[in-house]
Amino acid sequence: MNLQEYQSKAILRKAGIPVPASMLATNAVQIKRIATEIGYPIVLKAQTPEPGRGKAGGVRIIHSDHEIEYISNEIFKIVLNGRSIQSILVEKAFSFVKEYYLALLSDFDKGTPILRISEAGGATCLEPDSFSNAKTYECPIDINFGLKEYEVRNLVTKLDGEASLWKQFQRISLKLFDIYRQLDASMVEINSLVVTHQNQLYALDTKMNIDDQSLFRHEEFAETCQPSNQNFAKKQARKFNINYFDFPGNLGFVVNGMGLAYLTLDKLTQENLIPGPIIDIQEGPSSGSIATMAELLFSDPKIYAVVVDVFGGMTRCDELAEGLLLAEGKNLQHKPVFIRLKGTNAEKGKKMLQSRDYFSFYETTENLMNAAIKYLGELG
Amino acid sequence: MSILIDSSTRIIVQGITGRRGRSHALEMLNSGSQLVGGTSPGNGGEWCFDGRVPVFDTVKDCVDATDADVSLVFVPPHSAADAILESIDCGIKTIVSITSSIPLQDMMMIKVAISKSDSILVGPNSPGVFVPGVANAGIFPADIALPGIVGLISRSGTLCYEALEILTAAGIGISTAIGLGDDPISGMDFLTCLELFEADPHTDQIVLIGGPGGNSEFKAASYILEQATKPVITYIVGENLSPDLIRPFFPRTQRGSLESSGKKIAALSEAGAKIAKSLADVPSLINH
Repeated sequence: MNLQEYQSKAILRKAGIPVPASMLATNAVQIKRIATEIGYPIVLKAQTPEPGRGKAGGVRIIHSDHEIEYISNEIFKIVLNGRSIQSILVEKAFSFVKEYYLALLSDFDKGTPILRISEAGGATCLEPDSFSNAKTYECPIDINFGLKEYEVRNLVTKLDGEASLWKQFQRISLKLFDIYRQLDASMVEINSLVVTHQNQLYALDTKMNIDDQSLFRHEEFAETCQPSNQNFAKKQARKFNINYFDFPGNLGFVVNGMGLAYLTLDKLTQENLIPGPIIDIQEGPSSGSIATMAELLFSDPKIYAVVVDVFGGMTRCDELAEGLLLAEGKNLQHKPVFIRLKGTNAEKGKKMLQSRDYFSFYETTENLMNAAIKYLGELG
Repeated sequence: MSILIDSSTRIIVQGITGRRGRSHALEMLNSGSQLVGGTSPGNGGEWCFDGRVPVFDTVKDCVDATDADVSLVFVPPHSAADAILESIDCGIKTIVSITSSIPLQDMMMIKVAISKSDSILVGPNSPGVFVPGVANAGIFPADIALPGIVGLISRSGTLCYEALEILTAAGIGISTAIGLGDDPISGMDFLTCLELFEADPHTDQIVLIGGPGGNSEFKAASYILEQATKPVITYIVGENLSPDLIRPFFPRTQRGSLESSGKKIAALSEAGAKIAKSLADVPSLINH
């Protein structure tokens, strides 16, 4: 789960990391009042957990009162990944002499946190190429032992910065590690970390991502991951520990495990088709939770047909069948369901489903996908 | 005859009184695996399955009484780290985490503990370790494979089942099948597994099934190039998938450095592995 900038900044401020003065606003009147208080120039920053707000025009400098109405209206019209902008952070515009990048990231291959410091201020960790042209240094951190001052020193002394900044880098990096640990973050990024004319480090922008699997022990984010912030399907999926991936195509999927998902998608991609929503029931869900998720596919008019490809280990095919029947029973509009069941209780599952004439059965993923693709082709 | 487990392996189930733990424990017992005990804090002293399997409060009590060397973790994600660390502390040699979705930083702590111990962690999100006809430390459908001399490793559990079915249909038997799990941070990787198979006199070739993301396949490729003497047949799923299609399946913070299946296939091919274009092609690449 991505936090929004205003949430992340509040966390930095509370930890004692210097951030510019800012306040949250939801309309132009509020923005004007805040601007009067903190003084021009100000920066208006769209608040969203989605990436890409900069390119969409969601960060704008404002020099006077009469620009506010027009520009804030433009910002409120931005939609990123289907989410509109609900609030704007109004921040004192800041002049600086140099930009850095400083982050606590997670190395998934080695399984350690890493500290990364770079002179590529403005780059993001999602675009690794931008770091290769600038001085970038990182070190793995022992999760139990914690980040040590000397580890930060080993990196910052290689930068083209003044020695007077080293202590500030140390202090801020150690605080970032504390935040990373306390919040179960997978990323805590300050970008840019700027040097002011007074030779002080300030966090101009920050991004934080909280590990979704750890949310159960973080009451403080209960509000943030509420339905208003997530669509219904994702919310249901999280409740059942099912993975839900929203793609815009017309073929819905129920699979167990990402391997099978890749296998079916590969076939689709070879025909230049894109998938619709993918429901990965993982291992061992109950028939009730399968029913609730499958119902989303059966009742969605955008979905013309559903592919079910399940190889049961811990997932029992009869439980899956029961879930499909429960979901199907609630919907009058029948659509073709292409099914392949293998593994635990597959025959029992097939028997339960066989009486429905718009359910068809296949032995291999290849045949299953060929049939579904042919059906889509016939629809045009 | 196998790696990690064999006929003398003594298996316990952590979380044996839970819904999934209990049902799979029973299946293991019925398929002839040596299930010697289980744990469930608060239920110590009870017996499962008509007095066939004793339940203990702690792994320590369980190991003291049963001399277990393999543990299967079925406990829910929020207490999985505790369960795995408990098993490491008790000297369990092979810990298989069937449980998936363990918190990221919990996995980081587990990695440190594993590296300082003699234990091996398989998973999380593993279907287990399976020696057909001998022992099933996991949730593999028991009748899915034949005994034989081909080692099988897969990140995806379902593709592991698929491969076993295809090999069985072709009459090809398995020495050991292992599902490594496909969570963002994993215990044992392809490299360790290849080393174990290389040292196992009863495995004469290896099937490796990978996919997009992570760099485990690249490390395997280096090993195949530099050290492996046994033939390795690989299938990497998702060759045609665009980065835009793959990215949503990974944690946001992992997406910047996703390795494509195409790059992995190229590296493995260059290293001398045999490349299967589909799972169905795998049997034709095996010498038999």
